Amino acid sequence: MLTDLFAQLRFTVSLLFGVPFDVRSLEHLADSLRLTRIERGAIDAEAAELLAGPALDGATRQAVQLRRFRTQAGRAARETAYYGRLFDQLGLDPARLRHEEIARVPTTSKLAVRADPDAFVRRTARPSFRTVTTGTTGTPTAICFSHDEMRAYAALSAISLLSQGLVGPDDVVQISTSARATLGNTCFAGACTLAGALVHQAGLVSAVQTLGLLTERRSIAGKRDRVSVLLTYPSHLGDVVEQGLRGGLGPADFGVERIFVGGELVTAGLKARARHLFGEVRFVEGYAMTETWPLGGALCPDGHLHFETSQALIEVLDPETGTSALPGCPGTVVVTPFPPYRQTTILLRYDTRDVVRVLPAPPVCALRHLPATGHLQGKLDLAVRHDEGWTFPRDVLEALEALDEVPLPARCGFWAVPGGVSVEVVTRQGDDPPVRRAVERALGERGIPVRSLRLLDDAAELRSPLPLRGDLREATFRGPNGRPSHEPSGLSDANRPLLAAWR
Amino acid sequence: MELAAALIVLGHVCGVVVLGWLYFRRYQVARPPIGIFNLADVAIVLCGVVVVPVAYLTLPLWLVGGLLAIGALGALSAVLEPIVRSRGARWATLCAVAVTELWLAAGDAAAGSPLPTINNVVVGLVALGIANLWAQSGLRARDAALLGAALAVYDVVATSWLPLMGDLFSRVAALPFAPLVSWPISDDAAVGIGLGDLLVATLFPLVMRKAYGRAAGLTALGLGIGGIVVAFLVTGWAALAIFPVMVVLGPLMVVQYGIWGWQRGPERTTWHYLQDEPLEARPVRPACAL
Repeated sequence: MLTDLFAQLRFTVSLLFGVPFDVRSLEHLADSLRLTRIERGAIDAEAAELLAGPALDGATRQAVQLRRFRTQAGRAARETAYYGRLFDQLGLDPARLRHEEIARVPTTSKLAVRADPDAFVRRTARPSFRTVTTGTTGTPTAICFSHDEMRAYAALSAISLLSQGLVGPDDVVQISTSARATLGNTCFAGACTLAGALVHQAGLVSAVQTLGLLTERRSIAGKRDRVSVLLTYPSHLGDVVEQGLRGGLGPADFGVERIFVGGELVTAGLKARARHLFGEVRFVEGYAMTETWPLGGALCPDGHLHFETSQALIEVLDPETGTSALPGCPGTVVVTPFPPYRQTTILLRYDTRDVVRVLPAPPVCALRHLPATGHLQGKLDLAVRHDEGWTFPRDVLEALEALDEVPLPARCGFWAVPGGVSVEVVTRQGDDPPVRRAVERALGERGIPVRSLRLLDDAAELRSPLPLRGDLREATFRGPNGRPSHEPSGLSDANRPLLAAWR
Repeated sequence: MELAAALIVLGHVCGVVVLGWLYFRRYQVARPPIGIFNLADVAIVLCGVVVVPVAYLTLPLWLVGGLLAIGALGALSAVLEPIVRSRGARWATLCAVAVTELWLAAGDAAAGSPLPTINNVVVGLVALGIANLWAQSGLRARDAALLGAALAVYDVVATSWLPLMGDLFSRVAALPFAPLVSWPISDDAAVGIGLGDLLVATLFPLVMRKAYGRAAGLTALGLGIGGIVVAFLVTGWAALAIFPVMVVLGPLMVVQYGIWGWQRGPERTTWHYLQDEPLEARPVRPACAL
């Protein structure tokens, strides 16, 4: 208890002054939270408030962020090839940048990082971990991190998970994401381990195998008897829900209590249908990406995406003008991760191409002290500009996944046509008149100007499908007959005929 | 006279130990939200136990008095917080205690002064507060027994072999917030027990109750008081000026932990203890019908 005070103090110093984290202090804090959870059964809400640091007013926040931006820009100019050239061309002194001059630093594009990722790595850094994105929206990008950064990320995540009661020592955690998502998997698994949970990385296998693992019963002392926490992509979750409901499984077959879902848009329809399968589970959504790690956006009950001031500078830029988006208008999230969170690979004003809407008014929710935007709308590159404005992937997916006629995950595509949008979607019955009416009504309610609608019963016929992470399949050995040799051990005898039907 | 003083002091001891037991079942002390009181903290406490008496013998008296006052008032504040909800009332109480102690200590310390009575109550509440803070912060019975064992060794050295404790009590006895429960038997002599011994005697029944249940807690309570009575009897019989009470309490704690641990197995956590024995609900004052 007394030693925790020093760890808390050291952590606070890093938050306030941008001093590099002391990894041992972070791990000590995580361990203290774990022990507190074991001893008292729960963590008091005051713990999360204590670790979050003081709420800053607007002027203070701007001053802190300017100071951090200058520090990061100075390092970038001195120690990275890309920004060294850039600041020479701009003739700007990063250490003396004023707030209004930040916009003079051009945004960094994904293309630039992809073309020469090593040009963003500090010369004085000691990178030990190189992660590559899954590349679902194009060629993968590579980002480097140091050993201390990776340990810090795991400890920070553990502190967050424990203080919010999201993962505990008695949990069994299943990570059903692509094995190539090394950054997210490593950090989440490390965090859960520090939190005392039992973790297994299931990979992105078939929905049947995932179901088998979720229903499998365990008898490990001090742990839940089945998987209690699941981390997965919305598309894979949709596949699991679809297969599980079709197979007659229900809440009694699972012990899942919390589902961490991200990497793609999470729709209300998906969550509603998932609750039919798993029962009343808690969904944990957020916003994170490899290039801007460990920046995490927290979704509040009012649907705002809130960001921690000390982690990064968040800007929302109008995709057409490149200036700050107006209230209520869409824009892309531009991020500058700050020290002490990012030390090895520096990105200044990185354009994520993720679209959000600027809030029309300051938030009044419980997280109002943190800057916020509207919920994610999807990638700009997948959005459609038409005469009536924009149609974003969220508009389409929210409409489609709310319909039972559309199997999960919604396999669809949309593009601009004169006067509006053309949409194609896979439905259970194909082009059935009642289904068509239901889809048209759902899309219309979301304000999508549908000029052409194709309903299909085979995903192979889609002309321009939205990419799904759930399709990043892990390979498995095949038996003599050419079929997958692994049979999930988790499904009960009563469900075995189900497996035969799926083969 | 000496017997009467001893009985008064023992009465205070019994009162503090029993009140500490009742407080533990009724009130939750404000504790840090992160961390539990563990072996590292016990080690820090032991370091303090070794260093603080030497510091108190070396530092100027005004500084020693100030440090004693800060520590005592801090502990009192923690004790009062769940009982006196109004912050203003708490501050007023603490100020009144501080002023009273300072005024009485600055005045004539002749027999009949109310300072011992006031100070005994304050020190008793300090021991109660610290004991509850540690116990409610998750101190395990194993760690408490280890603390008792270590203090027993220290007490022999500091009290019997070295004049450290005797010199310390002589130096601080007349200070406000003096860390001992005492009763004068003459102008320059008193019967008393140190804050540390009182704290341990109050603490151990609480951690044993949490760890092993009501029976274990009551046994610890009875044996703790009994141990102090034995210490007083030995002191009186052998005509000793000072006696290391922890020599009796420490081994008792270790033996109790060993027996209950062997009988009951692993200790309960705070969570399991509260699940098995929920705290008594505080009575809600009925609304007045006008």
